[in-house]
Amino acid sequence: MKDIIRLLLALTLIASAAGLILSQVEMATREPIKEQRRLQMLKALGAVLPAFDNSPDTDTVTLENGVDKKGRPVKVIFYRGRKAEELVGAAFKVIAPDGYSGNIEVMVGVKPDQQINAIEILSHAETPGLGDKIAQSRYKDGFKGKSLTNADWRVKKDGGEFDQITGATISPRAVVGAVKKGLEFYRDNQEKILAKGGQQ
Amino acid sequence: MSLVKEFTKGIWKENAVFKLLLGMCPLLAVTTSAENGLGMGAASTFVLVCSNVVVAILRKLIPPKVRIPAFIIIIATFVTVVQLCMEAWVYGLYQSLGIFIPLIVVNCLILGRAEAFASKRPVIDAAVDGLGMGLGFTLALFILGAVREVFGSGAILGFNLFGASYQPILLMILPPGAFITLGLLLALMSRMSQKS
Repeated sequence: MKDIIRLLLALTLIASAAGLILSQVEMATREPIKEQRRLQMLKALGAVLPAFDNSPDTDTVTLENGVDKKGRPVKVIFYRGRKAEELVGAAFKVIAPDGYSGNIEVMVGVKPDQQINAIEILSHAETPGLGDKIAQSRYKDGFKGKSLTNADWRVKKDGGEFDQITGATISPRAVVGAVKKGLEFYRDNQEKILAKGGQQ
Repeated sequence: MSLVKEFTKGIWKENAVFKLLLGMCPLLAVTTSAENGLGMGAASTFVLVCSNVVVAILRKLIPPKVRIPAFIIIIATFVTVVQLCMEAWVYGLYQSLGIFIPLIVVNCLILGRAEAFASKRPVIDAAVDGLGMGLGFTLALFILGAVREVFGSGAILGFNLFGASYQPILLMILPPGAFITLGLLLALMSRMSQKS
């Protein structure tokens, strides 16, 4: 009995000391981490939106797009870029669940005329040297200026007009499909997305 | 054994990777480039030194029956510290190492040193042992990463070596490249030890 108390005491002490240290470190790193994530976000937004002079990461509208597997609403955040108060584009994140390995996260920037300004691959785990070519600018540039009305949203192999990558058709197909779905959602909700105000 | 010997044994005679074959999971997974190897090595070394020191300080207070959970708590604490700091200050590296930072907790090299060495030795010995073992591990990660980067992407630490006409050997970046490189390095190492 005495032995058990000694064991309990030792482990409890060690665990509480660990907790104390971790809470201190967490406090010290909280602000820098927030800042890093913000910079990362701004970098992605800068890559997909036309030149802007506001901070799109705070000028957002959040809409709900269906529910996920657990029945929770899926939230889509639209980041709005403005230049001299004039709206120049909106950016949003789409997730392609049907890539070759894991989700592909894509940031899409759309101009007010519903044409794509640019896309950026935020994260993916496609095969190095094959599927990961979706992250190269040569591939991403193929989306510039495309819209739902002026393009056939399929890869060339399926009869559309988007480049596939030799040896990796699955990754481009997933990206094209996800961007198309995102554009459709944008088209159906454009009024709400571009409405003045929104959540600041 | 002198402190110098404690230090150098981790780098050569008892090198965690080349001689003890410990820590294979991070070794094979993150060494797609020399920079990743260095980052992973530095993070592991920090955890190894800190956990060795703390375990050595507490070695008489920790009851033997609960020593393994106690060691794991200590190691996990330092790994979380490293993870938070990397996310705050070296975000690029944090992203490329990804899941393998938290997995340092289960690197058997670290628990192995705590159990086999730090829990029986004075603090200074444990610190020196941790540093030597960590540097040996880092060296192995760096060599493996450098070889794979040179052949797999034609670069070293991000600097292009062969110009645009070089066709990279993709296999070296993919998982088989890790095993092939490790196998060749191990063969080279045992050849060298046999001679000496």
